[in-house]
Amino acid sequence: MSQIEIVIDEKKYAAQEGLLLIDLLIREGLKVPYFCYHEALGADGNCRMCMVEIEGQKRPQIACDTNIKEGMIVRTKGQMIESVRRRILELELINHPVDCAICDQAGECKLQDFYMDYGLYDSKIDQAEKVHHKKHIDLGSNVMLDQERCVLCARCTRFTSDITKTHELGIVGRGDHARVTTMPGKKLDNPYAMNVVDLCPVGALTSKDFRFAQRVWFLTSTPSVCHGCAKGCNIFIDHNKEKYKDERIYRFRPRPNADVNGYFICDAGRLSYKELQENRQLEMLIDGMVSKEDEAVACYHKLVADGGKIVILADANLYTEELEAIQKYAHILGAQLCAPLESYRDESFGDDWLKSSQRAANAKGVEKLGIAQILSTDPVALLINFNHPDGSKIKAQKSIHLQTHQMEGKADLVLPLAPFSESSGTLVNEDGIEQFCPKAIWRNEPLMSAIEWIDLLQGGER
Amino acid sequence: MRECRIVSQKFDIYQSHKLDIAKEHGAYSSLKDAFALSPHEIVEIIKLSGLRGKGGGGAPAGAKWALMPQDGAQTSYLAVNCDESEPGTFKDRQIISKDPHLLLEGIIITCYAIRSHSAYIYIRGEYSQFAKILQEAIDEAYGAGILGADVMGLGYGVDVTIHRGAGAYICGEKSAMLESLEGKRGHPRLKPKRPEPEWYFGNPTLVNNVETITTVPYIIKHGANGYRAYGTEQSPGTLLFAISGHINKPGVYEAEFGTPMMEYINRYGGGIRGGKKLKAVIPGGASTAVLTAAEAECAILDYEHMRTIGSALGTGGMIVMDEDTDMVEALKNLLEFYHHESCGQCTPCREGTGWSDTLLGRVLDGKGSNEDIDKILELAKTMDGQTICVFAPAVAIVIRAFIGKFRDEFEARVNR
Ligand SMILES: Cc1cc2nc3c(=O)[nH]c(=O)nc-3n(C[C@H](O)[C@H](O)[C@H](O)COP(=O)(O)O)c2cc1C
Ligand code: SF4
Ligand code: SF4
Ligand code: SF4
Ligand code: FES
Repeated sequence: MSQIEIVIDEKKYAAQEGLLLIDLLIREGLKVPYFCYHEALGADGNCRMCMVEIEGQKRPQIACDTNIKEGMIVRTKGQMIESVRRRILELELINHPVDCAICDQAGECKLQDFYMDYGLYDSKIDQAEKVHHKKHIDLGSNVMLDQERCVLCARCTRFTSDITKTHELGIVGRGDHARVTTMPGKKLDNPYAMNVVDLCPVGALTSKDFRFAQRVWFLTSTPSVCHGCAKGCNIFIDHNKEKYKDERIYRFRPRPNADVNGYFICDAGRLSYKELQENRQLEMLIDGMVSKEDEAVACYHKLVADGGKIVILADANLYTEELEAIQKYAHILGAQLCAPLESYRDESFGDDWLKSSQRAANAKGVEKLGIAQILSTDPVALLINFNHPDGSKIKAQKSIHLQTHQMEGKADLVLPLAPFSESSGTLVNEDGIEQFCPKAIWRNEPLMSAIEWIDLLQGGER
Repeated sequence: MRECRIVSQKFDIYQSHKLDIAKEHGAYSSLKDAFALSPHEIVEIIKLSGLRGKGGGGAPAGAKWALMPQDGAQTSYLAVNCDESEPGTFKDRQIISKDPHLLLEGIIITCYAIRSHSAYIYIRGEYSQFAKILQEAIDEAYGAGILGADVMGLGYGVDVTIHRGAGAYICGEKSAMLESLEGKRGHPRLKPKRPEPEWYFGNPTLVNNVETITTVPYIIKHGANGYRAYGTEQSPGTLLFAISGHINKPGVYEAEFGTPMMEYINRYGGGIRGGKKLKAVIPGGASTAVLTAAEAECAILDYEHMRTIGSALGTGGMIVMDEDTDMVEALKNLLEFYHHESCGQCTPCREGTGWSDTLLGRVLDGKGSNEDIDKILELAKTMDGQTICVFAPAVAIVIRAFIGKFRDEFEARVNR
């Protein structure tokens, strides 16, 4: 397909011939309201909100079903097209509750955005005359449905029929009695089910896990990468800091990346933010007793100085930069470095879409750095474990654990380590794609990353 | 007004749905002629005959057949539309119950012409009795070697399967019908950008109305000109017009295109019941613009004339209303139907049909205002030309014609 030029609202744009007009409008940040179109699901043409004027066409056309052609002249503004949209939007609101004040979607609701844009603050229809549907339906998989808020865009049903092919959701009934529901005897039950919550443009589908936890306008989003498996799906970490408290993560959301995860993430990855915040290791422990930093550092140096064979274990979820620092450090210490990847394998987890049975986020990074993976069974004098899950399996006379979360097994010295959300670095996903994650969470008393610990232990300043 | 019997030839013959009786009266006699021609030649004859689709749209049949792939490399289908659910339209059921073998004969020829070996007949769910008669005819035809692997020893196989709908008007829209036939919800599909066949499970498919297909054997036997001997230049041939409402003899009678409407109403319909005066006629099934008595007086039953008077021939199912008819009630009846039958995909249609019905309900209850009437007209505007299929635009046409032509009756309800 060749490069062509089209005119939108008196401005020229270059684009691939045949591209969907709506894709171009979205890409160029031109405002066009829409509910049913979604890049991952394609055009369905049901909401009729994406109407534009195209010169030479008698009637307004939907941008989601229009392929662009050389010389096309498009108008997204103007009295005519705006009145068409306003009238359709008004119809959309006829049977909608319009009680945004108590709706969990408020703030990220397309219906709300659009009617603010078009100045239709309230519909002129009596509640008594509205069509009423069910309001609190537990669909399964943490997803709640409010049929009255639904605009019947069919994104959710197309997701289960075209993407997961699990077919749990459907629309039943005709006309203004049409509603989304699960098929008889079925629950929404597939490993990607919660994506329908992000797909839903309004507050009809909400996550049981997130609903009413936080108003979205209080949340900050930081781009990151899920650490649930080696796929490295791109996510947003939505977090918020309340006065005097430590910053908290409220949810993970998919962040589109055509090369990795498309538009979606799995439910396990989405909910993994919870584990990330539970059972955290926040204190330094010497023989199980809380201690101060200078004591811990002194203890560390003593354990290392006692000599003998040192083994360092490294977690394959650490950032490549951290692994490199550990690799250098092991060299200096003359220690044997090892990052067994087998420990992370979970054959019941993987599938043929996103989920990988290799559950370490940076397994490929470990391989690339040439870090050994076979654990020596010889007894060792000292184990320094950077958060690897198999720390307690090693027979060591003495052990030092740097860990993000509390772990089983005893260690002579435990040092808290910043998890991925509290530091920054690069991961290599299972397909060899390098992805950078900025630091998302700033604690009142920040924890140190592996790099910072190594600097400190080598005599640097904190 | 000439008598003409192209698809209704056997309607008055006792037990004409039985194979032996139908055969006595010439059933399947066109097949030999048809198979002596090449598929391409048949398509050309259909083009020349000017045969137009009889399901309401009046699209030229030959041009549509020609869209089907001619190399036979891909599996293709014929899907015969017998969903017939529009108020005022009840002609196809006459064919499937009175002369099912003529339909099957047409199906065999059409399949051969488009190089398909399987045909589906999608029958309106409520037509259980008619579907039974048609199924018996199909069974008899299989038994006699007329359907199946080798049609009458002519070396071509055709299978015919009936599928009964579940009671949705929208499943008569061709792409919704195919969705339903695929086992999905009957939702019309987005229209293709350029002419192409319909698709059934991704295979090219021809959709035609029952009567369109039933006309084919006659054209094969009598040639394109034999068909053109009836009707007008642009609307050749005949149509099974149906007539109902305030008339003496409601029913289905075949007539040629170009027949004056009043002549048809008076001769076949037996005139207005009780000697009353005519008030209005819905000319071609519920979804065409209602005509006032004055308009009906000069209306002529063909596609072109009906368009010039701002309405459409549609399916030719006329609903006649006498002077006592309450036009507000009549429109309410229709809007209830559309409200119930909108498939609910498109926002303007889903909400517009419901809301206009509710508003008209207000007017009927004496609680409405002039503003409500104007709002109904505005809803018609929103429903027109902004949806996936022509259901919503048809509702717009209905509303505009009723309120436009009989506004005083609507306003009288408001001021009461
Ligand atoms: C809402 C709607 C309902 C329809 N119902 C029928 C029907 O019951 N029977 C029919 O033959 N065509 C019906 N049609 C027309 C079909 O879409 C299609 O045009 C027709 O079956 C093609 O056959 P023909 O060209 O032989 O008329 C309907 C169209 C619409 C928009
Ligand atoms: S529940 Fe949401 S995603 Fe599903 S059809 Fe309704 S509005 Fe669309
Ligand atoms: S597939 Fe893996 S990386 Fe993607 S969201 Fe799930 S656990 Fe996270
Ligand atoms: S116009 Fe009405 S019937 Fe047709 S597809 Fe849209 S909602 Fe369905
Ligand atoms: S986005 Fe185009 S019709 Fe819904």
